[in-house]
Amino acid sequence: MAVEMASRSQVLVEEKSGVRILTLNRPKQLNALSFQMISRLLQLCLAYEEDPSVKLVILKGLGRAFCAGGDVAAVVRDIKQGNWRLGANYFSDEYILNYVMATYSKPQVSILNGIVMGGGAGVSVHGRFRIATENTVFAMPETALGLFPDIGASYFLSRLPGFFGEYVGLTGARLDGAEMLTCGLATHFVPSKRLTALEADLCRVGSSDPTFASTILDAYTQKPRLKQQSAYRRLDVIDRCFSRRTVEEIISALEREATQEADGWISATILSLKKASPASLKISLRSIREGRLQGVGQCLIREYRMVCHVLKGEISKDFVEGCRAILVDKDKNPKWEPRRLEDMKDSMVEKYFTRVEEEGEWEDLKLPARKNLPAIAISKL
Amino acid sequence: MSDNRALQRVNILVNHILQSSPTSSSNLSLTREICLQYSPPELNESCVFDVKEMRKLLDGHDVVDRDWIYGLMTQSNLFNRKERGGKIFVSPDYNQTMEQQREITMKRIWYLLENGVFQGWLTESGPEAELRKLALLEVCGIYDHSVSIKVGVHFFLWGNAVKFFGTKRHHEKWLKSTEDYVVKGCFAMTELGHGSNVRGIETVTTYDPTTEEFVISTPCESAQKYWIGGAANHATHTIVFSQLHINGTNQGVHAFIAQIRDQDGNICPNIRIADCGHKIGLNGVDNGRIWFDNLRIPRENLLNAVADVSSDGKYVSAIKDPDQRFGAFMAPLTSGRVTIASSAIYSAKVGLATAIRYSLSRRAFSVTANGPEVLLLDYPSHQRRLLPLLAKTYAMSFAANELKMIYVKRTPETNKAIHVVSSGFKAVLTWHNMRTLQECREAVGGQGIKTENLVGQLKGEFDVQTTFEGDNNVLMQQVSKALFAEYVSCKKRNKPFKGLGLEHMNGSRPVLPTQLTSSTLRCSQFQTNVFCLRERDLLEQFTSEIAQLQGRGESREISFLQSHQLAEDLGKAFTEKAILQTILDAEAKLPAGSVKDVLGLVRSMYALISLEEDPSLLRYGYLSRENVGDVRREVSKLCGELRPHALALVTSFGIPDSFLSPIAFNWVEANAWSSV
Repeated sequence: MAVEMASRSQVLVEEKSGVRILTLNRPKQLNALSFQMISRLLQLCLAYEEDPSVKLVILKGLGRAFCAGGDVAAVVRDIKQGNWRLGANYFSDEYILNYVMATYSKPQVSILNGIVMGGGAGVSVHGRFRIATENTVFAMPETALGLFPDIGASYFLSRLPGFFGEYVGLTGARLDGAEMLTCGLATHFVPSKRLTALEADLCRVGSSDPTFASTILDAYTQKPRLKQQSAYRRLDVIDRCFSRRTVEEIISALEREATQEADGWISATILSLKKASPASLKISLRSIREGRLQGVGQCLIREYRMVCHVLKGEISKDFVEGCRAILVDKDKNPKWEPRRLEDMKDSMVEKYFTRVEEEGEWEDLKLPARKNLPAIAISKL
Repeated sequence: MSDNRALQRVNILVNHILQSSPTSSSNLSLTREICLQYSPPELNESCVFDVKEMRKLLDGHDVVDRDWIYGLMTQSNLFNRKERGGKIFVSPDYNQTMEQQREITMKRIWYLLENGVFQGWLTESGPEAELRKLALLEVCGIYDHSVSIKVGVHFFLWGNAVKFFGTKRHHEKWLKSTEDYVVKGCFAMTELGHGSNVRGIETVTTYDPTTEEFVISTPCESAQKYWIGGAANHATHTIVFSQLHINGTNQGVHAFIAQIRDQDGNICPNIRIADCGHKIGLNGVDNGRIWFDNLRIPRENLLNAVADVSSDGKYVSAIKDPDQRFGAFMAPLTSGRVTIASSAIYSAKVGLATAIRYSLSRRAFSVTANGPEVLLLDYPSHQRRLLPLLAKTYAMSFAANELKMIYVKRTPETNKAIHVVSSGFKAVLTWHNMRTLQECREAVGGQGIKTENLVGQLKGEFDVQTTFEGDNNVLMQQVSKALFAEYVSCKKRNKPFKGLGLEHMNGSRPVLPTQLTSSTLRCSQFQTNVFCLRERDLLEQFTSEIAQLQGRGESREISFLQSHQLAEDLGKAFTEKAILQTILDAEAKLPAGSVKDVLGLVRSMYALISLEEDPSLLRYGYLSRENVGDVRREVSKLCGELRPHALALVTSFGIPDSFLSPIAFNWVEANAWSSV
């Protein structure tokens, strides 16, 4: 068994017969995806796809996080230096990686034993198998940062049951492993103490037919109890409110529910919506709604247009402000602009979905050609 | 040949082996070499224009709200979600009994109601609110015609009758409760003995001043109300159309509100209701028959916007002429023809998107020995079957949008134009849909027979459109009659033509070139000239034939009947020219670019296929035999030029994958043993 370890590398690679174990290795930054990590992951994934000896890819994180997201701090630095195009390149590579994973012809097993946020979801949820544990904490916190759930989230969130995806995407609500499994974001739940044994078993897989990995995973998986106060138990309320036409209508539907019964969960939900960036909320809702009707490739192309508008900051600069308030100054008091939902007009929302008019070449995201994909390679949710 | 047979035999054997041991991977790779594999058309087809831009043009308005309601449907279990070939589809289960289909249709409507879809449908007004409502209704119809018809009857027939025929007292009492479905309305106009001829209905209403009530009765079996959507199971209230007899004088057709069921769904006294039974489609709509046995309703229930009866029984109306009164009365009902025309085009889009996607992934026969089989849409004959229908659907999409625009911006002055245009468009667009669905059904071969694949089923679901809200043939005659009246009135008063697109008649008669080159044929000016020439000449011929007949002492009515052939040609010429104008207008508004270029090809195809299909051009000599041959060759050329855009053109319809059917996608996997 050949083992290749490059300890200084941000992505560790182990080769175990037909299996490749990739470990995100930036534990101090909770494995936030740097530009180098994305490039390396993409390069490895494409190489493994061509290599007939590789049957299965395992992705995990070192430390208490699987991956806490993209390296937005670096992107904001670029924007401040007047270099939003550098940030755009980062997202372009990240989305291409997401697309390759979503259309991967070999099974990817992601072991989500810790924090999974934003970009972390992007490198796992699109893959065939996602293993949650009792340590898993999942969230799409972008609307609180002045961004929107990207990395193909408009594809997978919109395919969750009912309107749970709108709830998760707009409020940034945290989900535990049991909730991830129940709503479909995770495919299996394995207690963390059994992960080592599971990995060892997976390394014996000798075929890229996902049914082999599936059989092994099924032997380890458990059915955890959904906690009593889980948002998923409120799916009826979520469906009634988050199905509404606009963000404003969603909030007033929640407020109506709140008047009927005093409920901590509803008021917390309303509060998180009121604290989020109005611009982010509106473009996120529309993105999820469009995503529901589109393929994963179209979703990523649209999200790339959106993120370029976010980076360019002509309609709103909430991304820079959100990162300042949450990540840099940590005063948790962002000054959003537009300040109120009603100030974020439909025409402004519309702009995020149009091509970016730019001096010099700006192009839509170019996805690599993927040949002869079976339907199961694409639809995983 | 013998090699091929041997290969096939091996293939069959391998499949036998594989069924018993599906995990043997070495054999799997063997089958991949031999078996047909689905290849998504997206992989091989290119797209030269922005599909999103094209979709915006086609949908015309409220794209975000359309996506919202598409999503509402896909996310609910009420809409019969199912997985086929790794994709989710939503489509009604047409194998359910009529009773089940009716109940699930009602439940789907409750769900849409709870999610605020119908908010403001009657209580808000203005073009924007109206367009939004039309967009949402269109999407309902893409999911299932029964849903849109049941919603349409409630809001557009019952609701709009209250709104437009009624006055403040009716609005206050009924509009909000209708919007919230506290009352469920239906619309009792058609009778067993009278359909398109509303003025001939036999239901009679009299007034009893002692109790200040109207008394409605069904005097004979032919006066039973028939095909009343919603009446068989769900409706609590109805609009009743009836002759109004006051002191022995028949004041003509009037509309009343009557309750037919209580809130618990029990049929009210003096009302009898029977079912219309199972239909060839649209079984989610509970069509019923109603008899009125001297039903008494309060005087206030007369919808009195046009005429009223005082408490002591005097008939009062601001419009003295009964003909005009009837016209004023019926004008608001145009909305039915507007919604039917646009929904017919969306149905044709579902058919074409399915058939064209299938023809870009299904192969049949090789043209060379041992060569690969040929993709269906690479056969020129298959292109000729589907692509002209695609071009027509595009042109008619713009026509439907234009009709909606003139409808939502209507004024008393535009009533006549709306009546004429909506009559022509409703007839031509619904006929086009039926023809398209039949062609698509045949074009996907046996798969079209499967209900799940939708294309065949839609024929039954949409067939009624050619009959209801005015029989298509009657409507086309109305178009010709209106054109006749316009012509006579302009000539009599020696005034220039204005309106209905007849302004070209004021100029000189267009002269067509004798030689038709490819570039002439594709020139919008040439196309406009041929369509104008045909309309102008037919209108002149029609009026002169009527004049001749009248000169021989025939009545105007008899003369119209005698000239039915010219009337038919003229109605068609008028409508096709009006459609051409809408796509030309849409094209003209676009900046130079790929969308405009492709739309130009589509428009030329529409124009030329309309010419190819119309024998009147040869019959009346507008084109020579040689010209007609040139047109035919150009159609064939255009087929080849549109072929590379076929996928992008149907993707631009904006209909989500889940609203099409399994054969539009991976039909191999959808039918695989593993998914049995």
